[in-house]
Amino acid sequence: MNTSSNHETRDPLGLRDLPAMTPPEDGWKQIEAALQEPARSGTGFRGRTALLATAACVLLAALVVLKTQAPPPAIGPQEVATITQPDASLEQDQTLNDLIAMSQTLEKQLKGIRTHSGSIPASSAVYVAELEDMVAQVDTRLSVSPGSINLWGQRVNLLLDLAQIYQQQWEREYGRMASL
Amino acid sequence: MAENAFEIIVDELTLAGARRGDMAARERIYRLYHTASYNVAMRVCNCRELAQEVTHEAFITAFRRIRQFRGDAPFWGWLRRVVVNHAISALRKLPKADLVEFQDYQASADGDQESIGRAMDLEQALQRLSHEDRAVIWLHDVEGYRHGEIAQIFGKTESFSKTRLARARQKVRTMIESRERAERTQLTG
Repeated sequence: MNTSSNHETRDPLGLRDLPAMTPPEDGWKQIEAALQEPARSGTGFRGRTALLATAACVLLAALVVLKTQAPPPAIGPQEVATITQPDASLEQDQTLNDLIAMSQTLEKQLKGIRTHSGSIPASSAVYVAELEDMVAQVDTRLSVSPGSINLWGQRVNLLLDLAQIYQQQWEREYGRMASL
Repeated sequence: MAENAFEIIVDELTLAGARRGDMAARERIYRLYHTASYNVAMRVCNCRELAQEVTHEAFITAFRRIRQFRGDAPFWGWLRRVVVNHAISALRKLPKADLVEFQDYQASADGDQESIGRAMDLEQALQRLSHEDRAVIWLHDVEGYRHGEIAQIFGKTESFSKTRLARARQKVRTMIESRERAERTQLTG
């Protein structure tokens, strides 16, 4: 592939060579505040359900905490522990181990949540089926590339989505129960 | 080397954290892509304040909808699309954008006057283009969007993108050439 000729065709005026501009200010604090706004608005009954929802969130948070406690299965942690100078490949191995551990913990927790949660609405059920189908697709690809960080990341993200659906269902059920 | 400033890879753990709502992970993502996002917004909008606002809103939207990102394509491409959509949407509401000031640009480290001069000519020519011409030329030539994608972003046809691109390039060339001619005339006269 001739990169320079492609570059000329794509950018004949040389716009890519123009100097970068510096953003006038750091906007993170405002973005952070905007993202946290809905969480602060809960009052009264909604506030109470929000608290209960927070309790439900603890379950999800626990999943994340567990990843640091659960030994990364099928991977030799002793070998990693003996090396004191981390390099890129070790970091990648660690990331892979973390993602595999997180995926397994999420699987286990989802199994528990499914057992204890009631029926879910049809709209959510469709979404759950779609997500489970996507997990199956990722699993198929993982059977070919078991060491792919990208695929394990996708798997964790899909399982988090599933957990989110069950968590929302739990919040709804608790809300109904609390209103009786 | 990355084709453009947006092509930064974010690790899967940070992405997973951001999807869970972890603010530290989200801040890491913001820090990684803030400058690139501002630059795309600035090139499309041609107005510092508007570009800042667009960047701000785009990050809020991206973090609120991050669960929609499935991870089957690079995250930077998804985020850049969010920024571009916000910028185009802002342009639609704007009859006329303010002009950019040259002090916004970082001077090159070696201070090569000739290259700075060329860049300034190109900058000025870009600024004189219409919003749509400038957005199309930047999205195609720098960001690497295809005509079909640009057409989709603008809600128009591919021929709109092709025509705009050809016209914008020609306008820029004409403006730079006429400026060079004027400078030569001044020197010889």
